[in-house]
Parts: sequence; C-alpha cells; structure tokens
Amino acid sequence: MSLNPSPSVAAPAGARSAAAKRLLSWLRQLLVLAIPFALFGLFLLAYGVDPLELYGSMLVSTFGDLYGFGEVLLKATPFVLTGLAAALPAKAGLVNVGGEGQLAVGALFAAWFGVFYLGGLPAWIGIPAMLLAGALGGALWGLAIALLKVKGRLNETITSVLLNYVAVFLVGFFVHGPLKDPESFNWPFSPEIAPTLRLPIFDGTRLHVGFVIAAAIAAIVWFVLARTRLGYRIRVLGSNRLAAERAGMRIGRMYFWVLIAAGAIAGIAGMIEIAGIEGRLRATTGANFGYLGFLAAMMAWNHPLRLLLTAFVLGMISVAGNTLEIGSGLPASAVTILMGLVLFFILGGKRRRG
Amino acid sequence: MIADILTGAVRSGTSVMLASQGELISERAGVINLGTEGSMLAGALGGFAVTVWTGNPWLGALAGGGCGLLLSLLHAVLVVGFGANQLATGLAIMFFGIGLTSFFGRDFVSSQIVGFNPVPIPLLSDIPFVGGILFNHDPLTYLSVLLVPAIWYLLFRTRLGIMVRTAGEREDVLFASGLNPRLIRACAVLAGGFLAGLGGAQLSIAYTHSWVENMTAGRGVVAVALVIFASWKPQRAMLGAYLFGAAQALQLTVQQQGWAISPFFLFMFPYLLTLAALLLVERRKLSRTPEALGRVLAGDPGG
Amino acid sequence: MERENLLTEPLLSVRGLTKRFGSLTANRSIDLDVRKGSIHAILGENGAGKSTLMKMLYGVYKPDEGSVEIDGRPAELHPPAKARAQGVGMVFQDFRVVPALTVLDNIALAVEKGWGLRRRQLRRRIVDVSAKYGLAVDPDASVWELDLGQRQRLEIVKVLLMPGTRIIIFDEPTSVLVPQEVGAFLDMLRRLREDGYGILLITHKINEVLAVADEATVLRSGEIVFRAGQGEELAGERLIAAMMGDKTLKAVSRTAGGPDEAPAAMAVRGASIRGDHGELALEAFDLDLPAGRITGVAGISGSGQRELAEALFGLRPLASGTLEIGGKPMKPGVRSFIEAGVTLVSEDPVKESVVPGFTILEHMALDGYPLYPKGLGVDWSRLRAELTASPEAAALSVAAPDRRAETLSGGNIQRMVLARALIRRPGILIVSYPSRGLDIGTAYTVQRQLLEAAAQGAAVLLLSEDLDELFKLSDRLVVLAGKRLLGPYRPEEIDQAGIGRLMLKGESA
Repeated sequence: MSLNPSPSVAAPAGARSAAAKRLLSWLRQLLVLAIPFALFGLFLLAYGVDPLELYGSMLVSTFGDLYGFGEVLLKATPFVLTGLAAALPAKAGLVNVGGEGQLAVGALFAAWFGVFYLGGLPAWIGIPAMLLAGALGGALWGLAIALLKVKGRLNETITSVLLNYVAVFLVGFFVHGPLKDPESFNWPFSPEIAPTLRLPIFDGTRLHVGFVIAAAIAAIVWFVLARTRLGYRIRVLGSNRLAAERAGMRIGRMYFWVLIAAGAIAGIAGMIEIAGIEGRLRATTGANFGYLGFLAAMMAWNHPLRLLLTAFVLGMISVAGNTLEIGSGLPASAVTILMGLVLFFILGGKRRRG
Repeated sequence: MIADILTGAVRSGTSVMLASQGELISERAGVINLGTEGSMLAGALGGFAVTVWTGNPWLGALAGGGCGLLLSLLHAVLVVGFGANQLATGLAIMFFGIGLTSFFGRDFVSSQIVGFNPVPIPLLSDIPFVGGILFNHDPLTYLSVLLVPAIWYLLFRTRLGIMVRTAGEREDVLFASGLNPRLIRACAVLAGGFLAGLGGAQLSIAYTHSWVENMTAGRGVVAVALVIFASWKPQRAMLGAYLFGAAQALQLTVQQQGWAISPFFLFMFPYLLTLAALLLVERRKLSRTPEALGRVLAGDPGG
Repeated sequence: MERENLLTEPLLSVRGLTKRFGSLTANRSIDLDVRKGSIHAILGENGAGKSTLMKMLYGVYKPDEGSVEIDGRPAELHPPAKARAQGVGMVFQDFRVVPALTVLDNIALAVEKGWGLRRRQLRRRIVDVSAKYGLAVDPDASVWELDLGQRQRLEIVKVLLMPGTRIIIFDEPTSVLVPQEVGAFLDMLRRLREDGYGILLITHKINEVLAVADEATVLRSGEIVFRAGQGEELAGERLIAAMMGDKTLKAVSRTAGGPDEAPAAMAVRGASIRGDHGELALEAFDLDLPAGRITGVAGISGSGQRELAEALFGLRPLASGTLEIGGKPMKPGVRSFIEAGVTLVSEDPVKESVVPGFTILEHMALDGYPLYPKGLGVDWSRLRAELTASPEAAALSVAAPDRRAETLSGGNIQRMVLARALIRRPGILIVSYPSRGLDIGTAYTVQRQLLEAAAQGAAVLLLSEDLDELFKLSDRLVVLAGKRLLGPYRPEEIDQAGIGRLMLKGESA
C-alpha cells in the first residue's frame, strides 16, 4: 500500500517476494469483491433476470458512450466525497457514518445561501461561496459529533447515526417551512437557485465539474495522509491510540478536527448535489449517499485514491439499479442487497488489523 | 393528556424495549450490534407477512423473532467468527436489513391484518389513571414487561449469566474454565437478534398493524444507545425505552392539542432525547462498561 | 523434615517429558514425581523452563515427548480441561479471574456445571473451605476491590472447590505476597499436605523451599540438574549452586553515586494519583528525582507503579499536589512533559508502543522524538541516519529499520523502545520493568545503559519487581505500599528484608 511512506530500499530478493505478496493481497481483495457479485447473480436468476446480461449491459452503458460514462461519474461524485468523510476518520481510528446527515445539512446550507444571498453574484464568486456554505453546514454537523466525542466521550458511530435522523428531519422542516418554494403548489422543495450558481457542465453529458472537485479533494486527502507530518500522526492515532497518547499527540484535538474536516467534505457533496444536479433542495436530496459513501470507503480499505475507483463501481451499480427497475421490474432496492453482500465479504475478508 | 402520553410511552416504547433487552444481552457478552436496526426491520416484515398468511399473530411474533435472529446470525458470523469490526458490521447489517425488507416488503405495503390488540386486564384496568396506562395493552407488551426481571435473573443469578458476562469481560477466563467464549458470544448475539425481531414484530403487528418501508426509523439504533444509557442494567433499559416512547407519544398529543410546534421538531425530539440521555450518563462516568465492549467503543483494534 | 510418606506411591509421575519451541528446547527429558501428602518444589531462575513444565502438567502445552501417569495409569493432560478432570488444579501467578464479577460468581464459573446456580449451597461451601484453610475471602465482594493476596486466596478456594482436585500446582505463589503474608501462606500449604493433597510448588525462593518442601528439583536451561529430598538432603547452598550453575556473565554494579544530594530534576510535593476507577492509587507523597541518580521504586506489583509512572509522564493528572521540573510547575498533558525532557518506557510496550503496519524507523519518530520536517512531510533519511549511527541502538541490537514492528518478538520490541528512549538522551527517564522478557545478557546491557544515562546526568526513575536489580542499580530507593510512597532510603542503609517490611506497611486489610 502506497500509504506507507517508508523509503524502503529492500534487497532485490526481498523486493520480488514483496511484489508477489502484494499481488496476492490484491488478488485476495479482488476475490472478496467478486464473490458478492456472483451471489447476487444467483439472486437475480431466482427472479428471472439474467445476471450476465445485466452486468454486461452495466458495462456497455458505462463505457459504451460518453453520456453513459458521464452518468456514472455523476453518480460517483457524491460517493467519493461521503466516502472520504468515512475514510479520513477511519484512518484516525474512528467509525464515522455521519456523512449522510452532513451531506443533508451541507445541501441545506448551500441551498439556503444560494437562494437568499448568492443569487445576484457572478459565477466565479457565487459558486465558491456556495461551496463554502455547503462545507460549513457539513462541518457544523461534524462539529456536533466531534463535541459529543471529545467533550462528551460518546462513541462517534452511535451519535453520528442518531444525528443522521435528526438531519433528515431538519431538512424536512426547512423544505416544508422557511425554505419552501412559494410557487411550488405545496410541494416540499426549495426555490430554484440562480443559473449562475449551477456548476458548469461538460459537453455531451450531464456531468458537471463537481467530479473534478471531488477527485481533487480525494487527492488532497491522500497527500495529507501519506506524505505529511499531520498524516503520519493521524495514522499513528488510527493504528494505536495508546502509542499516540504516549508520543504526546493531542488526541482529542485530532479527533475533533478530523471529524469536522470529514463533515466539511460531506457538506461539499451536498452543495454539489444542489449546484450540480437538482438545482433546489428536496427532502430527499442525497438520501442514502452517505451510507453508500461509507460502503465505498470500506471497499477501498479506506484508501483515498482507491476510493475513486470504488465510488465509480458504486456509480455503475446505481445506474444499473435504474436499468434494473426499468428493464426487469425489480425494484431499485434489490441493489441494496448487492451492496450489503459486498460489505459482508469485505468485513469478513479483512484481517484483524489493517 | 399526561395519561395519554404515558400510555403512548408504553405502547410505542415496547418495540424499542424488547430490542434493547436483546441488545443488552449481546453487549453484556461484549458484542455491540448496530444491526439491531436491521433485525427489527426483518422482524417487523417477517412477523407481518406470517400474520398476513396465517392470520395468527402469535405465529407472526415467533416468525418476527426468527427473522431478527437470522440477520443477527450474520453479525455473529462476521464479528465472532471472522473478527470483523463490530460497529462497521452492524452498520452493514442495518443497510442490508433496510434493502432486504424494502425489496421483499413491496407486496405487503397495502396488506391488512387484525394482529394483536389491547387486552384490558380485568379489575386492574379499571383503576383510574394508572389502569389505562399500565393494564390495557397488547399481549406482547405484557410479555415484554415480564421479560425484564427474567433477563435480570438470567444475567445475575444463573451460571449461564455469569458465562455471558464473563464473555464480555475476560474471555481468557472462560477459556481457562473449558468454555468457548466465541460460542457464548454468538449465542448472546442471536438472543439479541431474536428479541430485536420480536420488537420489530410488535411494532408492525401490535402497534401500527401495517408494514411501511423502513418503519423502524432508527429505533434499533436508539435501542443500542439506550443500553449504554442504562449502564447495561435491564431495568434501566426498560425505563429508557419508555422515555423514548413518551417522546414519540408526544407527537400525537401535540397534534391532538393543536399546538403550533412543527412536527419535524417533534420527530427529532426522541433522537435528541436519546443523545441527551447518553451524555448525562457519560458525564457521571460511574458505570462500569464491560471490558471487551469498552475496547470496541474506544475504537481499539480487534474484534 | 522427617516425614514417612516420602515412600508413598506418586500421584503424578512424568517420565522423559520434552517440549521444543522451534529450535529451542524448553524442557528436555524431565522426570518428576508428585506424591500424596507431600510438597515437591521446582526451583530455577527465570527462563530455566519452570513455566513450560508447569504448563505441560496443567495441559496448556502438549509435550513433544514423554509420558504422564496418574495413579500409575497413563494419562493425557492436554487440554487443561483434561488435566482438571484428572484432579490437577493450578493457582496461576496472573490470576484467571474476572474483576467485574463477585468472588462467588468467579467461583461458580470455574467449579460448577450447567446453566443454573445454587447460590446458597455454593456460598456455604466457599465459607467452609475458607475457614478450614484460613483463606479469608468475602464471597460477595467484587474481585476488583480485592488486593493481590485476597485474589490469590480466591484462586486457591476455586481450585480446592473443583471436584476431584488432588494435585495442586502453585506458580510463584509468594511473588504477589508481602513477606509477612508468606508465613500464613506456608502454613496453609502444610495444612493442604496434611489433608493429602499432592503439591507442586514452583518458585525461585530457596528459603520457602527449605521451610516446607519434602522434595526439590532444580531446573536449569530446561533440564533437571539437581534433585533433593529422596535420599539427598535439602540444603540451601547446594540448591543455590545448582540453580546458578557456572554463570560467567559479568554482573553489573554501581560505580559512582556519591552520597551528596544532587539537585532535583523533578520535584513532586503533596501529590495524590487516582487509579482507573477513580479510586486513590497513591496518596499525598513527595518525591524528588535528582539529576544523575537512579531512584528505584520497590513494591508488590499493583501497588500504584503504573499510576506513578503515568502521572510523572503527564499521562495521568495529579488529583492534588504539585509537580515541578527544573523548578517550573508543569502544565498537564504528555506534550509539555516531553518538551521538558521526560521520557517513559512503559510496562507493556507491545500494547502501548507498537503501531501495527509501521516500520521500526517510523516508530522512532514517536515518543517525543522530533519529527524532522521536510516540506510538509518527514525527513526520514535524517532519522534513519541517526538511528544507524546511534551507539545505543547498536548496543541493544535493534532490528533493521525497515522491519515491521508487529512482526518482532516482545524482547525485540522492548529493545527498540529502550533504544528510542535512550537515544533521546532524556533529562528525566522513567523506566518500567526494563529487563522483563530479556535474556540475562541483554538485561545486563540494558542495566549498563541505564547507569550510563545516569552518569551523563539523567534523573532516572526505575520501577522493577526485581529487588536484586533495584539494589544493584539504585542510588536511592522508595517503596510503594498501602497507597503511600515511603522513603527515599539509601541501599547501603537498608536490606531486602527491610524493604520487604516496608512493602507490608499500610497493608492492614
């Protein structure tokens, strides 16, 4: 794993066996990902759907044309960010599932600022401002988890799941109340944001620059973790909290900022959903994206760059979920079953410490 | 009005209470199971489906427990068998439960059942105020109340209970006594899954008499949180669950009274209350977390 | 010692027992008998193979060769459940008890069968056995409230209540007792012998052997080198000679260490420290760590050593009192202690210092060692150069910088952690159990390094369970007992028995 910054100048023989070991571990990880797909194929067969055809059409619709490829990237974008919101804390030894709520609150803030304050601004300042608003919203939600963790000594997994429910109701409150579009005929959604705040789109697709933003953030997170002193400290903390404590690290402070950074990243995902796709806030904006991001992070063994790949795979599956529903009448929730299977195999296949 | 809230507390708190009693057994053995949410959903759907098919809510309740147990079997295998991260595995089971039940639950959304209905206990239910709150409930609720002292007795007065608690503290001691800590943990997780499933079934066949996608809405997670709030004591978990139930019941009461509070804040309230309760207990920090569980919650590596 | 039952048939009899771990032979062809109503002592220094032998007899290890007979019939002892079923009970040194449970619960777990529990009947049996052998324990007390002596009594009651126990193995039983408790313990052993139990006493204390044993067997390097009792007389000098063999390693001794009191690098006044459960671990003590001196800390293990070490490193806040370094009061938190030049070698480095997935080199940057900057990153080559050039790392033969630490043995990790602490040339060095898990040669190297560090002006606090080590290295000794810190004493002015009396002080429970 390239996260290991040790400048290893091993002997050639050692290097060869190390390479073989790496290959084996890659193969093993691939297998862990392949088995659930095979099992899900059996499940599909039981419902009269040909899995090979489905997986085939998944590949074709992804790589067949630019539009399809763009659709997958579009789907993958929020997964990258919410995935980072899980992977970064995981590197510090935390199990954070707050991405779901942080994305929702980020979307809420982005829509709020977009609708009320940023409408008249030119794109070059409006979009970054809206991005910051989204990050702020997510960070605030992360702050709640961080405070409960550091000051209240409550386990972050439990608090982040509970707060996810609160976040959904919070968004519900706003789209039914202060943020409701007066012209919506009582539908619960916000007014549309100004066209200047919409993210630029690549020709021939629906894909917007959000994917570039997400990829850039993933690269930054990777760099920080793998190459900086801060990242070294985070990894020590994640690997052995007692050692970090004895090395004089300020553990509470590190947990605090890691959780807030994770919140901000997920909040940006919420902003991208508003500015890139929906244009307005709905009660369902980004529903389940946080959980899917958590899944993507686990599939990537919490490695920020591999996360790009796993988010892409999840994007493919999500697009395929739509095809499944349209083509064979199986509900999109069938795909959740596949994702559950993938998770189980990853969890079961993981060595105790990694 | 207060009587309404208290009655509602028992009525809507029972599902959480059953799940938290189950989770308590599991956590006493050192395994935290956020998949309780998934087990509750599976129990709600399984129990509902069997009640639809057979018309017999008792069979439904049993099936609900069985479905919850099946999902928790996954947790047991992954966590106890493969040493997977407990928190992450629990979450995976939660997602899986949501997906599985919404997939198989499609056909039951509009089904109707008779299910369990309140059975007033003669004489006792006639006592003013208290009678309505305590003695006019469905059979599963009565059963769940009896379960609490039973679980207490089991955990603290039998050798089986000592085995379970030792699994949550020092597994090497169990090993030295020729017992298999993994087996005991797995069984505790399964017992927890069964009770969570039963709680889910109570929700669908006794409380709402319907199946709605993702109808537990975090009750399983709340159950897990309540066990920590309860310092792993069955009586206190019961209290916590009824507190949560009361917060839920507040919604109905406020609506009936026509007060101008946004329903969304009322929806949030039970979750915020749960967080507040956790915080309160943690502040005092006098409870003794089972050692094995403490390591999981602190994020130390290992199963 | 004139006991006629030396002629009785052995209860347990082993022949040619051998156990190998890889290329190391831990036990080679051991022959041994334990007789009914007699005490058989196994003597040997640390690492002589006593614990391997005992683990084979209790069924933890399966012997590679050799045979076991119980009552003259061939017997299989592995796994421990089989050994127990044949009447072999064991009192471990690290007690197999659950602190969160009560005494009764712990005993119920070990000695009862089935899922139910007849509490009243079990309580009566506990009370009866305790009264019979003078093993006072309260069945309803939680184990975490008990001191080590009480925990040991719980263990013994447990073994006695196990159905069919006839042979009891005691593993270094007196190591958890203060000297004044030892007498009562030996009396209890005699009573067990009168009641016909066969007792195997594993120890390295010759006086105890002379006081109670009927037979003695001395192990050295995994082999039996001496037997006494069966025809041969039990004599202290011969046992010592057999244990030590022809040891040629040069022992370490203090060279300097004048009587003059050096200025205190660290000064603690009126300090109290809390334990993990909020209970007071140490109350209102003063402690000075003079520069260039080694201050030894004696005490029965679990008397607040860990709490003291952690508090002096800033890991554990003082409940009251003041702590000054170089005359300046310290802010709480490890960081400021590290900046003030304090370093800690913790008592469990595998658990507390090893970061899985990290190489030795990456470990070197922990423990307050500076993280050399290079842009935003770390200058690993500079650290590598320092590590390879360090005489301390060479003396302690630390493993190669690119080895992953979690693949190393406990002794290797101990050396890595010690080297890391010494390379820093700390002003104040707190070392817990430095020679634990090390072979004698390396232990001497470590001891020399500690003397060297003190000679260069470091204030060293040495926590050890080995009185010999403490007396050998310390300029001043303090004793932890009954939540108090006693001393300092000068090793010239007090002997080991004196320290033992102090260790008992405050232990009136």
